Amino acid sequence: MESLRPLAAVLVTAAATVPILASRGRPDLREGWTLLAAVANLAIVGSMVPGVLDGTVYESTVGTLVPGVEFTLQADLLGVLFGLVASLLWLVTSFYSIGYMRGLDETDQTRYFAAFAGSVASAVGIAFAGNLLVLFVFYELLTVATYPLVSHDETDEARAAGRKYLTYTFGGGVAVLAGAVMVYWLTGTTAFTPGGIAGLSGVDLTLARVAFGLLITGFGVKAALMPLHSWLPDAMVAPTPVSGLLHAVAVVKSGIFGIARVVLDVFGPETVAEIGMGIPLAALAAFTLTVASVIALRQDNLKRRLAFSTVSQLSYIVLGLAVGAAAAPSQASAYALVGGLLHIPAHAFMKLTLFFCAGAIHVETHTDDISDMAGIGKRMPLTMTAFGIAAAGMAGIPVIAGFVSKYFLLIGTVSAGYLVFTGALLLSGILNIAYFWPVVYTAFFESKDENDEKPLIEGVLGGRLFGHDAALATDGGHADDGDDAANGDHVDGDDAANGEHVDGDDAVDGEYDEHGYADDHEGDHGHPHGGDWDVRGWGGQESTWFMLGPILFAAGGSIVLGVIPDTAVFLEIVREIVFAVTGVRV
Amino acid sequence: MSDLAALIVAFPMLFSVVALLAGLVRQETGWPVAVVGMAVQVLVAAALANRAFEETIRYVVGGFSAPYGIELVVDGLSATMVLLVAVISLAVLAYSRVAGPRTNAFYAVYLLLVGGLTGMSITGDVFNMYVFLEITGLAAYALVASGDGGRSALAALKYLIVGTIGASLFLLGIGYAYIATGTLNMVDLSQQLAEVGYTDPLVQASFALLVVGLFVKVAVFPLHAWQPDAYAGAPDSVSAFISALVSTVAAYALIRIVYTVFTVEFLQANPVAQTLLAAGAVVSIVFGSVLAVSQNEIKRTLAYSSVSQFGIVVGAVALANETAMIGATIHLVGHAVMKGGLFLTVGLIATASGARAVDDYEGLIQQLPLGAGVFGVLALSMVGVPPAVGFVGKWYVVLGAVEAEAWPLVVVILASTMLTLAYFARVLERIFFRDPDGGRVDVSRLSIGMQVTVVVAALAAVALGMLAFEYGQMLQPTVAELLA
Repeated sequence: MESLRPLAAVLVTAAATVPILASRGRPDLREGWTLLAAVANLAIVGSMVPGVLDGTVYESTVGTLVPGVEFTLQADLLGVLFGLVASLLWLVTSFYSIGYMRGLDETDQTRYFAAFAGSVASAVGIAFAGNLLVLFVFYELLTVATYPLVSHDETDEARAAGRKYLTYTFGGGVAVLAGAVMVYWLTGTTAFTPGGIAGLSGVDLTLARVAFGLLITGFGVKAALMPLHSWLPDAMVAPTPVSGLLHAVAVVKSGIFGIARVVLDVFGPETVAEIGMGIPLAALAAFTLTVASVIALRQDNLKRRLAFSTVSQLSYIVLGLAVGAAAAPSQASAYALVGGLLHIPAHAFMKLTLFFCAGAIHVETHTDDISDMAGIGKRMPLTMTAFGIAAAGMAGIPVIAGFVSKYFLLIGTVSAGYLVFTGALLLSGILNIAYFWPVVYTAFFESKDENDEKPLIEGVLGGRLFGHDAALATDGGHADDGDDAANGDHVDGDDAANGEHVDGDDAVDGEYDEHGYADDHEGDHGHPHGGDWDVRGWGGQESTWFMLGPILFAAGGSIVLGVIPDTAVFLEIVREIVFAVTGVRV
Repeated sequence: MSDLAALIVAFPMLFSVVALLAGLVRQETGWPVAVVGMAVQVLVAAALANRAFEETIRYVVGGFSAPYGIELVVDGLSATMVLLVAVISLAVLAYSRVAGPRTNAFYAVYLLLVGGLTGMSITGDVFNMYVFLEITGLAAYALVASGDGGRSALAALKYLIVGTIGASLFLLGIGYAYIATGTLNMVDLSQQLAEVGYTDPLVQASFALLVVGLFVKVAVFPLHAWQPDAYAGAPDSVSAFISALVSTVAAYALIRIVYTVFTVEFLQANPVAQTLLAAGAVVSIVFGSVLAVSQNEIKRTLAYSSVSQFGIVVGAVALANETAMIGATIHLVGHAVMKGGLFLTVGLIATASGARAVDDYEGLIQQLPLGAGVFGVLALSMVGVPPAVGFVGKWYVVLGAVEAEAWPLVVVILASTMLTLAYFARVLERIFFRDPDGGRVDVSRLSIGMQVTVVVAALAAVALGMLAFEYGQMLQPTVAELLA
């Protein structure tokens, strides 16, 4: 159905760039433009959702780009899925950005907000692209719009991260263009057709594989598939709203979206299985899932840990798509596809919560490393609770969004018979807990006086055999703490005698913690640690509502998606997408 | 109005003389004369183009009928070139009212150059093409030398020496062709050369000499050495003008020689010829970009960028299919607008702040937002960010290469995006993400004409990208005939 709405959705945010730049000296007016554009964008995209669920496809054609390829923007089911995620979360992030940028009194805020508007316009353009070439146009524009955001801080590190980002993403763009040219040459069209372009199912195997490989590589750069993921952790140098919305939601999801389009609407799941690219892609995704989780265990910087978590979680989506393709056509395939696609909004909400929390912590306390965050739950209770909720969802704990998508993925992989991938998913769940739980634990159950080193972060790789480190001693021995020596009334080994030591960790393997203090010793010993965190209550005194509101919204959204995913519209959209592509209803 | 074809060459020459004579009467009257002349030229070119896209115009000069006389042939391709020359000349004039050299002699030579370029674009006779090539060359050497200081003179001397060698090779090639066939008319030559046989050594030698001579003029690596010095040493308006037009029309001449005189059959009979063209293309693309990255002076970076971009055009010429030819033409037009725009922007920035080195561009967005913004847009369109014209030309060429299954060329042309990014990202990072040094910027030295011209160039780069498809459709019959 011809409609101006897809075009309008892209234009309203793109056009907002001009008044934002023009409002350079008036921050409140400038922020007003951002919010106005965000609301308008969400309204336009939201208005298309009921129609799309009924089966209408909204199309805007602007002319011909190159021969045989029209410049079409179409809001179909898959497009609306990504478009809705991007629009909704942009509104939330706009509020958060205001709080964040003002909290840090950042420079170049006008450039920031203008580039942000441009980025979302490009992301919505990607969502509504009607064919591979239009998607490529917006893909490149997204790179151009997000580059100033990565290099925002203008430090050497930021510029280096920006250069790396440009190199990787433009390289990806070249691969996408090459793949698009090949598809056009092989079939005469690049338009998205649910179930795949018909002409691609009979072509020469090598050429089809090359085209598929090029497209997946090109999109895989932004989707942070290993080994093309390395730009993402470095891009964490950007301000947190950028890391959150763009590098956890818009940019990486546009890469994922590209892969989804290629698997579902360019090649189609059955053709992907025919050319034998389903299993290799799934294997790559499973590899990325696990290895990224392992690397995340070692990261002390919270944002880098979240970056690797993103790399890992994105591969859940790719795994779902790949298994869905490999097992096509069958019910297992449909389950896997539903799981993979539902993870797009699920992960977006959860990861955005996590990044928002990291950013709030940075603004309020200038703490970036987990080892400095002991007891921070006192200072920022709402934030850390939201963090805990989102982290639980990441691991796949029920009631939160991540469980629903993981459930579908697990059923899909098991029904298809690929137990290796089921194992990888389960292992990843455990690893998720392993790298998120320490953060929650240290925030709520430790304090600045009383915290342990985290072996996973601070331990030597491979472990210590014979520690020359004084902390290593057998049962009954002393830890040669300077503090202990000074005080003299602590005898670490005399657990039974003194009854003062309650740390459970002491009992393990004879390895002693640095501080073996029981609760009642807190604050007694004139530690060089400095004062403990301020206690703030649960009423929002920990930070500004500009930041807390979005955090709670995103966390709440994760719970809503976990409890009523169909009513929250996303699962319904996903089920319809999969039905349209495979003909199977799950 | 049937003499339009001849008049379009005659008018600039006439106005050139007028400018010179006016200078005897009153100083600084060159610019108004040139503007009037170019305005007339644009109108005539538009009228000509209107007719030429429907039906090729053939005009016989002086009543001496072909193949003995000189014939002027205006098809879609020639009309594009003529219109491009006229529009860009007028745009550079808008820029140079305040900025450029103001002597009458300068504008007289400027108009002479326009005449030479126009003549080269529409002639149907190879020797006539040589004559106009030399007129173009001599006028260009004089324009390059018109800057202040010894640097311009040295650059012009280098350009003169290398350019004359190129033109002499071209003349030799014509000579060989004439010996083989006894005719100089392009259409007639194409028939006669076919009769002589495409594997005849005389014909092959002629081709090689003509192509290498034109490679010098197009500045294909390694015959490009005159270009960085000429572009950097010339005054800013001259750099913009020559970079946009002189190599472009030389590339047009290459297309004309290869396809109208020698035809596709020659390339099929001599695969080595195609290899020669493709090799020149690949080497230019790669080495042009690599050399561009290491330059300290911005104008030299842009000069090496031209070497690289023309490599794409020569590559398209080597492919000999319709899609590639349309791509070559779109890229020629697009590059003229983008490179001319970039040089004008560089001139604008230099006038306001004195910045000539890449390092001087640090933090320019804060001091000169207009110049910095326009530079950014033009640079990104050169890299190939859609929907600007740089992308569209590349798409057609890549598609043509894929259709011809010339995979090495496909890879190199796609890689050229990354290579172009390499040298432009350096400059863009400095402009947008570093703090200024504290140099003084004087915006009052910029005239309205300068600012408007560069903004129009940036807008045109994007708009042409969107219009390129329609243009490709219009060009299609011309290209089909070219390759027949």
